[in-house]
Amino acid sequence: MTIGDLKTGDSFIVKGVELSRETGKRLADMGFTKGVEGKVVRKALFGDPFQVCILGYHVSIRRAEAAGIQIERMVTPS
Amino acid sequence: MKPLRIALAGNPNCGKTTLFNKLTGSHQKVGNYAGVTVDTKEGRLMHKGREIAIFDLPGTYSLTAYSLDEIIARDFVLDEKPDLIINVLDATNLERNLFLCLQFQELGIPIVAALNIIDQAEAMGLTIDHRLLSRLFQIPIVRTVGAKGQGLEELLDAAVAVAESPIAAIPTPYGNELESVLTGIIEVLNTDLPFAASFPSRWMALKLLEKDADAAKKLSAHKNRSLVEASLAAGILTLERHSGRDAEILISEARYGFIHGAAKETVTRDRATVPLTERIDSVLLNRLLGLPLFLGILWLIFQATFTLGAFPQEWLDLLFGWMAERARTILEPGLLQSLFVDGILGGVGSVLSFVPLVILLFLFISLLEDTGYMARAAFVMDKFLHIFGLHGQSFLPMMLGFGCSVPAIMAARTLKSTKDRIVTVLVTPFMSCGAKLPVYILLAGTFFSSHAGAVVLSIYLIGVLLALGSSWVFRKTVLRGETTPFVMELPPYRMPTFRGVVWHVWDKSFQYFKKAGTVILAASVLIWAITTFPQSPEGTPPEQAMEASVAGWVGKALEPLVAPMGFDWKVAIATVTGFAAKETVVSTLGILYKVGDSTKQEASLQAALRNDPVFNPLVAYTLMLFTLILAPCFAAQATIRAELGTRWLVFYVLFSIMVSWTLCFGVYQMGTLLGIGV
Repeated sequence: MTIGDLKTGDSFIVKGVELSRETGKRLADMGFTKGVEGKVVRKALFGDPFQVCILGYHVSIRRAEAAGIQIERMVTPS
Repeated sequence: MKPLRIALAGNPNCGKTTLFNKLTGSHQKVGNYAGVTVDTKEGRLMHKGREIAIFDLPGTYSLTAYSLDEIIARDFVLDEKPDLIINVLDATNLERNLFLCLQFQELGIPIVAALNIIDQAEAMGLTIDHRLLSRLFQIPIVRTVGAKGQGLEELLDAAVAVAESPIAAIPTPYGNELESVLTGIIEVLNTDLPFAASFPSRWMALKLLEKDADAAKKLSAHKNRSLVEASLAAGILTLERHSGRDAEILISEARYGFIHGAAKETVTRDRATVPLTERIDSVLLNRLLGLPLFLGILWLIFQATFTLGAFPQEWLDLLFGWMAERARTILEPGLLQSLFVDGILGGVGSVLSFVPLVILLFLFISLLEDTGYMARAAFVMDKFLHIFGLHGQSFLPMMLGFGCSVPAIMAARTLKSTKDRIVTVLVTPFMSCGAKLPVYILLAGTFFSSHAGAVVLSIYLIGVLLALGSSWVFRKTVLRGETTPFVMELPPYRMPTFRGVVWHVWDKSFQYFKKAGTVILAASVLIWAITTFPQSPEGTPPEQAMEASVAGWVGKALEPLVAPMGFDWKVAIATVTGFAAKETVVSTLGILYKVGDSTKQEASLQAALRNDPVFNPLVAYTLMLFTLILAPCFAAQATIRAELGTRWLVFYVLFSIMVSWTLCFGVYQMGTLLGIGV
């Protein structure tokens, strides 16, 4: 499962990044590393890009990048 | 005693610029370093009798070789060897900020950290044990609030103390497996002592494991290069085989591993709050409202710029008119008076009268940037811009382009990928700049009096469409390649400080002043010269004198080329001078239609144009289009060359000539055929 599969409001735990070397490295440097928790805050019009909260800050990524970030969805009590 | 040399580093949005300004006040200058044409700002101050020079490095998240800013930051440390780094950490966003801190530590340079914006962190319910954090990272940490100037004395005290007792930086351990691989590579790197002296071995080993292209290039200077490479290959194999993941990712994880551990021990959150930023974003980034709100803000900015800017613009016009009058009475009639009044005052004056417009536009843009809204605009616009092969962050340079292309082109540096940067620079001049406006106002006012506003607007829109269209074409042809990622922080909204906004406006406007002072001045004198020499005998009507001048020859020679667009030799001269600076199109026409002081007697120039059989609404519209599309002024061209190199400049100029000619030819011929505006 990837961030691209998530709905607005879903929380996740990062498992790894499967993207090109440069993009993968940039995302890892921005905090998308194994075990880190995050949340999809919202999506822009037409569902792209995504606004994701990670390590307590907000970052915008495109659907293409979101689809390369392997995650595990967290079941949050609503 | 030699001044203490300190590099100021940190993430974007960590309050680094505010801190820099508070520390150095107005004692700043801009200098170029390390052969890169990016400005590194330098400020000086005295602290307890000690002279300190502070270098403001670009704000970055990491120190990879993937972006120009990051290479500049790390090369500055390697080449200039500052005494220490003051690393500004955003206390509200500690973990990601510490990631950069660790990388500076890897460079083996002493660090003092400023735990900045600590007041906001506390307001958010965060408590940070900065003493423990300082012990864990083995660096002094000082709590600061840059905007209020709190903690700056202590920060400088700590910096001086570190500089005076240089204890070798203790590297942060990255876990047994990585450390044992690192030890092996460092050992081989250390066999070349001069190499190890210029590139710290631990840093070099980490960068090589990260498969950093720039580090690999630097390695070619190592005398035992093949041994290092063998050790490196074995190390990468070990790491990747055990984990099944890429070495460069493992290193990021190792850094974050340490940081997460440190954060767990030092940061406590006593309450969960919904930050104000989130509440504002739920409106401004609302899926349905986001775009209309953004367009509304844009509309307001343009309205305000042109409404408010009209007043000071008029005053400046009057001032320059008065100066011209004075000059005419003081200076003897003749070449000198002509050079000063027609050449210098006319040329530079017409540029400077746009300063209010440009400053106002930059003021609004700076407000959007400093509050944090600009990132939201990029978020809202990204999908749309992406269709045309642009980037959400291309948006800021394109906006600035409505003011002046020079700072706009420079603003494209914020784009990480080279291809994105090139595309953005190449299309930014299509955003109609302030200097082109007088041309539109003259022509639209003369030939489309009742619909002048709509006509000018259509030119602006055509510019935007051309920018989007050309970007799409470039992306399919000369700049093909995979789409680059759009990883952009959405920083918390912050109240802009007065100083900060003034600083940003000044910073951008300065590029424009510099242009008016240098390139435009030179261009004005040049244009004056080619329209004056060779001189005709006394009493020759100005039009005939101009025809006999160098400019006249050029215009006549170009006439066959511009005739298919409905232009004659006079318009040809105007467009040639427009190549140097767009606003001179108006003053050149003024001289050619012998209305004397063109800027003052707009009404008579309008009448002269209306009476010229060459002109009709169609030709006027075609000329507006031509002014819009044809290569921007010399200053903008020089900026393109500085940013992208001569080859791209030549490509750009040829491209713009081709597009402008083809489009104007089409418009004129179609218009003539259909009998529109003739």
